[in-house]
Amino acid sequence: MTPLELSEIQAYLFNEYKEMGSSKYYLLQSKDAIAAKKFLASVADNITHANATIGETAVNIGFTGKGLMALGYSNEENMHSFSREFREGMVTAHRQRLLGDFDSSDPSKWQWGGPNNEQVDIILMVFAKNESIAENYFQSLKQKFEPGLSIVHILDGKPLPKDREHFGFRDGISQPVIKGSNVAPAGNNNDLNPGEFVLGYKNEYDVYPDAPLLKVPQGNAKLLPDNPGGYEDKTKGKRFKDIGLNGTYFVLRQLEQNVNGYWSFIKKQATDENGNVNNAEATKIAAKMMGRWPSGAPLVKHADKDPGDDSEDKDDNSFSYKTEDEDGEKCPFGSHIRRMNPRDQFEESTAGVSLSLTRRHRIIRRVRSYGEDFIGSAENHTPTGEVGLLFGCFNANISKQFEFIQYTWANSPKFKRLYDDPDPIIGVRECPVTGAKQNFTIPQKTVNKVIPNLQRFVTVKGGAYFFIPSIRTLKFLSTI
Amino acid sequence: MIKQHPLTILAPVKKDKVEELDKRLSIIRENLQNSTEAEFKKVPSLHYGRFVILSRESFRDEPTIPVGTRLIFSTNFDGDKDHHLTELVTNITKYIDDLYECCEGYPEPGNRTTESRKSYLEKYSIKTSAFYNGAPGRSVQQVHQESALRDHIWNYINNNKWDANATAVEIHKAIRKQIDSRPEFEWSKQKAEVQGINWLNLIGYGLLLIAAIPLIIVGAIYLFLFHELWNKKQTLTLSQLDDKKVNKLKEVEDLFPQNQFTQVAVLKPNFIRRLNFQIWMLRTRVLANNVFVHGKLLNIPTIHFARWVLIDKNRHVLFFSNFDGNWQQYLGDFIDQSGWGLTGIFSNTVNFPKTRFMITGGAYDEEHFLAWSRSTQVPTQAWYCPYPQLSIKNINNNTKIRNELRMDLNEEQAKVFLKRF
Repeated sequence: MTPLELSEIQAYLFNEYKEMGSSKYYLLQSKDAIAAKKFLASVADNITHANATIGETAVNIGFTGKGLMALGYSNEENMHSFSREFREGMVTAHRQRLLGDFDSSDPSKWQWGGPNNEQVDIILMVFAKNESIAENYFQSLKQKFEPGLSIVHILDGKPLPKDREHFGFRDGISQPVIKGSNVAPAGNNNDLNPGEFVLGYKNEYDVYPDAPLLKVPQGNAKLLPDNPGGYEDKTKGKRFKDIGLNGTYFVLRQLEQNVNGYWSFIKKQATDENGNVNNAEATKIAAKMMGRWPSGAPLVKHADKDPGDDSEDKDDNSFSYKTEDEDGEKCPFGSHIRRMNPRDQFEESTAGVSLSLTRRHRIIRRVRSYGEDFIGSAENHTPTGEVGLLFGCFNANISKQFEFIQYTWANSPKFKRLYDDPDPIIGVRECPVTGAKQNFTIPQKTVNKVIPNLQRFVTVKGGAYFFIPSIRTLKFLSTI
Repeated sequence: MIKQHPLTILAPVKKDKVEELDKRLSIIRENLQNSTEAEFKKVPSLHYGRFVILSRESFRDEPTIPVGTRLIFSTNFDGDKDHHLTELVTNITKYIDDLYECCEGYPEPGNRTTESRKSYLEKYSIKTSAFYNGAPGRSVQQVHQESALRDHIWNYINNNKWDANATAVEIHKAIRKQIDSRPEFEWSKQKAEVQGINWLNLIGYGLLLIAAIPLIIVGAIYLFLFHELWNKKQTLTLSQLDDKKVNKLKEVEDLFPQNQFTQVAVLKPNFIRRLNFQIWMLRTRVLANNVFVHGKLLNIPTIHFARWVLIDKNRHVLFFSNFDGNWQQYLGDFIDQSGWGLTGIFSNTVNFPKTRFMITGGAYDEEHFLAWSRSTQVPTQAWYCPYPQLSIKNINNNTKIRNELRMDLNEEQAKVFLKRF
């Protein structure tokens, strides 16, 4: 296997920056391409790469398709060699159907990234130990980028205590690890070929992912390596330069969470005839929908009760479905985590086949919460102001990974043998198609328990696809 | 058991009517997409119907013999072909007349009768090389009936307070009693016949295959040395495909939980490749008729109907399918579950990703295979399905519900029955 060029790859792909108390995403627009390129040239060596020692700050950078064009990477043939999803961006009529961005989540209502918002060209992701360091660091960056770029929108994220998200659940437990990186292997089918996440390396099909190539010479191409996938232009008798090598794609979606609506809905399911709410029962229903307890412990291992934050099992990722919970009586087929990573029970395939299929549809999640530092529960579910999740993920093939997961595993109510069950957390339609049901089925010993008329508690507020270039490509982009 | 069959009609379009035909089909398509289309329902024997305009431009690769513009009408239907044709020309006469008016040789208005229309369709109907049915024996009526039965039982189960101590057997019996009290489900008392795997045919096929091993090896080596080695490496990837073409395909995708796929490819222009293709069609036919009878084609659990049809003196091949989920999932399934089958079949077409011994490369060359699939795909002008909300897994599960409802089950079996809801 080709060794990874860690000093070329931006570190956010490998490092969650968990120790960073402040994470701010600056969405920028190019107003002067020459000045913007100057900024890129000056910042390239400061971009945090995977071999860098991380101190009190870190910074990473990405570009939208329109952003590359605004910089001057506008040759049609060159742009065309980027993946279609990236090139078109998150907002197209077809993609709206795939991602399920309807009603309140309609891109026309977004706060950024939508058709009615200012164009986003660049994302500057600035991380720091604490707010004051963040502010100082940002001011120094701002001085450099201001002549060429203006701020369109700022997303202010942070990790919540105990790695929880606002609904109240511990998040980010199951995460793929790139083989050959400096991250310790994760085991449990989570160690994947680099090509699933880094362009220019072989993926789980043992082929190179589609790579953006410099078809028509532009800028200082000497900075770029040849394409390792071996795409040659026979007519011109030379290999194309690869601007994708050591780069990746980043998906970002701002998801507002209606914590009050979520818990109120669930508590209604745990209310008896006299109007008494059973909070323990409500928590259990919520856990059934998630597939893990609030602490993070998987239902497959703890079917009845949350072992709590002190239990080692809160990080447990070593379970399998086929052998431990084939009929879904512990962890329902429709639950969020069983859909997002079906492990050894992908459709009706054998365990071995399932594991290898699952490996082809994974993402590396990079999430931050925004709004009040609030962790919801059955007892306490009214945050002040808007709260939500800045959902981010890395993948080398947006269609095969992020979009596939969102459409086929989350939004499609036909997952496995189900009839009318979308993902209860992220797949429910706010206004379902006339006549369509939206249920959550909890398999039980005899009759299944069904929670009907699911409601949507997540609203998309913005989103975009970004190309995260290698350090070399970033330098190249400053010369176009 | 009512058998399902494929019908493919390939009629030449009048040169000056192509645009008009396209316009007429667009109106039908829009109505179908808005769910305001009400005509196709009038054909009770019709599972799926699609109209495709196949022109020279539909071919990604140079056709080996000249082709004009043709209208493809394909259906999957219940029972007798003659009866199906009669239903088509009498129940959706306007569609048939409006569309085939644009085709060559269609009877003039004064000469249009049931018989003359039928004989026109008959004249242009062509043979299917291989056909797959995800739910053999399930007529349209049966699919609807069993779906209504499942929904009824689902409501009954969920609107009832069940005693915590009730056994699965007791609940199963209560459900049966409930259904027995409903005259509209009288039909469910009769067991649905379900096709099983035909072991005898399968063993026969296996023996034949074993006997043919030396031939297969020689053939594979021959193909490798004299054909595969000389095939060009394909470098086209998805990103490089024409945006207009891809967007036209996407425009009509993911509107319903089910989707359609229409493809045309050119067979490699030599005898041995054409022969090899026929051998693979034979294999597919044998397997589809005897083994893939429980809702999985080559292990893919999402296909309702699929077919391969050779056209133009066996020089070009059409592939149609109706499936659950979206394109990326469908093609991914093909690679993951049955790359060998696809490779075997389609490696005989030009510009398919390079293979070795018909086994490696090909579909397993993911990036280039996906680009090949997309670039040989043809936009479907109009597509009808009478049960777009049911997955093939749902349809097969519904039949099991119906049959198990009438059986005396033990506790374990009754639990399995209840888990079907």
